[in-house]
Amino acid sequence: MNERVRKLREQSLNAVETITAERALLITRFYKSDEARELSAPVKRAKAFEYILKNKEICINDGELIVGERGPAPKITPTYPEICLHTTDDLDILNSREKVFFRVSEDVKRVYEEEIIPFWKGKSNRDKIMGLMTPEWLNAYRAGVFTEFQEQRAPGHTVLGYRMFNTGFLELKNEIKGILAGLDFFSDTAAFEKQEELKAMMIACDAIIMYAERHAELLEKMASEEKDGKRCTELRRMAVVCRKVPANRPETIHEMLQHYWFIHLGVVTELNPWDSFNPGRLDQHLYPVYKKEISEGKITLEEVYELLGCFWVKFNNHPSPPKMGVTAQESNTFTDFCLINIGGVRPDGTDAVNEMSYILLEVIKDMRILQPSSMVQISKKSPDLFIHKALDIIKTGFGQPSCFNTDAIVQELLRQGKSLVDARNGGCSGCVETGAFGTECYWLSGYFNLPKVLELTLFNGFDRRTNQQVGLKTGNAKDFFSFEDLIISFRKQLNFLIDIKIRGNNVIEKTFATWLPVPFLSLLVEDCITNGKDYNCGGARYNSTYIQGVGLGSVTDMLTAIRYHVYDQNNYSWNEIVNAIEADFTGFEKIQHDLVYNTPKYGNDDDYADQQAVDVFEIFYDAVNGRPTSRGGVHRINMLPTTSHVYFGSVIGATPDGRKAHMPLSEGISPFQGVDKQGPTSVIKSASKIDHLRTGGTLLNQKFSPQFFEDEDSFKNLTALIRSYFSLDGHHIQFNVVNAETLKEAQKHPERYRDLIVRVAGYSDYFNDLGEDLQNEIIRRTEHEDV
Amino acid sequence: MKGVIFSIKRYSVHDGPGIRVTFFLKGCPLSCLWCHNPEGISPEIIKTDRKDRIGEMEFSEIEDVGHKYSVQDLITIVEKERVFIERSEGGVTFSGGEPSMQLDFLSEALKAIKNIGIHTAVDTCGYTTGENLLKIFPCTDLFLFDLKHMDPQMHLKYTGVSNELILENYRLVAESGKDFMVRIPVIPGYNDDDENIYKLREMIIKINHKNLKKISLLPFHKIGSSKYKRFNMKYSMESIVPPSNERMMELKEFYMKTDIKVKIGG
Repeated sequence: MNERVRKLREQSLNAVETITAERALLITRFYKSDEARELSAPVKRAKAFEYILKNKEICINDGELIVGERGPAPKITPTYPEICLHTTDDLDILNSREKVFFRVSEDVKRVYEEEIIPFWKGKSNRDKIMGLMTPEWLNAYRAGVFTEFQEQRAPGHTVLGYRMFNTGFLELKNEIKGILAGLDFFSDTAAFEKQEELKAMMIACDAIIMYAERHAELLEKMASEEKDGKRCTELRRMAVVCRKVPANRPETIHEMLQHYWFIHLGVVTELNPWDSFNPGRLDQHLYPVYKKEISEGKITLEEVYELLGCFWVKFNNHPSPPKMGVTAQESNTFTDFCLINIGGVRPDGTDAVNEMSYILLEVIKDMRILQPSSMVQISKKSPDLFIHKALDIIKTGFGQPSCFNTDAIVQELLRQGKSLVDARNGGCSGCVETGAFGTECYWLSGYFNLPKVLELTLFNGFDRRTNQQVGLKTGNAKDFFSFEDLIISFRKQLNFLIDIKIRGNNVIEKTFATWLPVPFLSLLVEDCITNGKDYNCGGARYNSTYIQGVGLGSVTDMLTAIRYHVYDQNNYSWNEIVNAIEADFTGFEKIQHDLVYNTPKYGNDDDYADQQAVDVFEIFYDAVNGRPTSRGGVHRINMLPTTSHVYFGSVIGATPDGRKAHMPLSEGISPFQGVDKQGPTSVIKSASKIDHLRTGGTLLNQKFSPQFFEDEDSFKNLTALIRSYFSLDGHHIQFNVVNAETLKEAQKHPERYRDLIVRVAGYSDYFNDLGEDLQNEIIRRTEHEDV
Repeated sequence: MKGVIFSIKRYSVHDGPGIRVTFFLKGCPLSCLWCHNPEGISPEIIKTDRKDRIGEMEFSEIEDVGHKYSVQDLITIVEKERVFIERSEGGVTFSGGEPSMQLDFLSEALKAIKNIGIHTAVDTCGYTTGENLLKIFPCTDLFLFDLKHMDPQMHLKYTGVSNELILENYRLVAESGKDFMVRIPVIPGYNDDDENIYKLREMIIKINHKNLKKISLLPFHKIGSSKYKRFNMKYSMESIVPPSNERMMELKEFYMKTDIKVKIGG
């Protein structure tokens, strides 16, 4: 990276996450104004959007080439009181909490006290949602059966598609004019609503163009005052770019990146959608202009890297907006999950890996920065070289890029009814969530605690922690005469709780459709304009709502332990198991020992254990898949946790897999920490027994020591490992290359790291199985390699 | 017929090409001082204490080291791994111990695994009869041949047997037309002196090495030391320091002067 990018990267790394009241103040003033009264919801939202972009401070950082900040400076983060109003106590917590904190000044607190809170109290969408939910929903939510994604943030996970990388907003305006002119007020009963929405979209187009021009003006002003001739020329050139995009179609790499960035800022200013926004298949979008510019000699490779470096820093300048309470626990990170997709297939089905794919991999390696996140889409047509280049970054242990199976993604999307071309243009956003980029509105609605359902099943639907009847009364554990009886009750409980969640989802979707349409985001996702319908009202070509299953490995091990010890081997009675659980195993360590060490476990390619994973998967799938959503979409499942497996564990007592009360659950579809003892191939075999193609994404995490990545042979074997998993329809795998810190932790807490494999010079073994001296030796060597 | 196996490793990537399943057959005629699998030396199934922790409490259970497997049992395990083996052009490796100690089981297992279309390798210390080796030739695609010392006296002192038979068998394998790899443990103070290293290289070069795919230099490590304690065996290598990276690179350079591929590690 060159000096310019290095400085910008430094600046981004050093900036401290801080709350600004700017947006909160502007939106409050607009909502209070006369102008805001008596407007339809979409027009009101569009005008609010325009008001913010017109009045917010413009920030241009020293030396940067791509401009635009959501707040007044890098990492200065706005709030969204119309979604979720922070109390002054909330602001104190944000300011003082140890992890993922935001600095809050006294000024911000005062503004909140005097202007923001008095206006929004009881009126934020969060207040609306909580007021609309049934007592059953509130009970289940408090018990930790599920979380609610839309409680503090707007629906997101959206990705920009091919079209908007090649279209300016002036062209969109023309298109909208045409649709408006063609509205049929004689037979279309929705014509009026469409007209309001299209008017709102028009305002949003003008707003984003105006916002870019404000940057151009400032750049020109700065240029006229700039003493450094080189920077002066740069500033003028940047101003020209800002006058051109996003109004017009971008034609150079610089214009492409700036075009996208204004769009990104538009989306994250309009509301605070989950996973911010995402340029998706960036190598595909950039490649044609890159090819043209390079071949015409208009840009050098160094300039391309420089622009990309400047672009990368922009994402890192934008932490996830502040999260509180359960939302903070389920997603406890500054990362805002913009996941750049590299590779995959082209719309005609041919291999999409190109020169730009390799350039982006170099940028990731070089920048080594938390945001944006990145992944490689690997299809059966992708060259091995592409995978090797990815492994070369993965081995450095910073968790990027993760590996995705394009062939599975395409089949998942086709199964959901997407066209072949839309499916091939798709990919994953967030952690692992499949979507048709630029054509789909896919909401994630919340994590669903599968092990909690089992806990409720064992205690007649009663939650011991909150002292509430949360589930159905299906009997107590000892009443289940057979394992099948238990499974039948588990299914009843799960169906009951999923119904509560889906009822809630269908109400919550309507709150967004009614009060919080997103006319700007609607411009970006196809068919919203032609349908004259908002993104939050079902305007997109495809609409899905996901419920994310959590703790598959844990619930599987719990069920297997019961099946094995209570029903098949008769080692323990239900009374013994229940007493042990209720005592959190204190005084029952022998039972706990058997449950942990002498029980078949998921993750070892053992059909006896893995069968329960398949059963739970099918029960969850049956309960959710295909259920209609209130905006005309379909409910589906995926299997990912972010950090919710920790929260979900904290609300569950001791469990029949030998887990102590409140300890974390397994994550994604990975085995519970440390129970997979047969190595990565067995984990992969277990994980591929569920049908990934009927999900919208699964997450598999695999720990490796850096020594597994040491030479060409090991890259070939890892490539074969990935391709094998993908040939079994696995959706995603990420390699957690452990560092010395982890090894030290493993030394202190061997029970948590029983699956950790390390390489010992031509030889490999479980870390736990090594003598202490050797462990120290490996730690030392790893420390050495970490450098 | 059943064989006694003391360990099965999946995603085995250092015992031959690709992703492999390695079966460790129990029983070895050698007892190298540096052996990292001392529990594999005796041919019998032995008992050991398995210790697990629950919080601060320790639980101990008597466990067998070594289990009996039929050839069909091995096939079942290998079939589970087929997808990885095929994609990586890997296979199955028989190691030990010395696999030829269970010759009948070994040759039957090799035959059965060849029969299902999977690449086979045998990791041998070479201390067996030529007759035995000939018996497994037809169903073995690759030999991993361990060489330790060129001096018969030293070999006897460090491994419990002299090296004549081993060198004879080495020639047999090298000239058989079968693919093979050489594995040399590098044990500081025992076999890493310049003279031994030189003699080993000369021997390898002198004998037909057309089919020698790779020489692996395996640096000494103490991975087995805790096992000695567990199995109540005497460990005499406590004070030996593993060879430095520099020394390993030096040795690698030395072997690279031949036209043979050399690698540090398996």
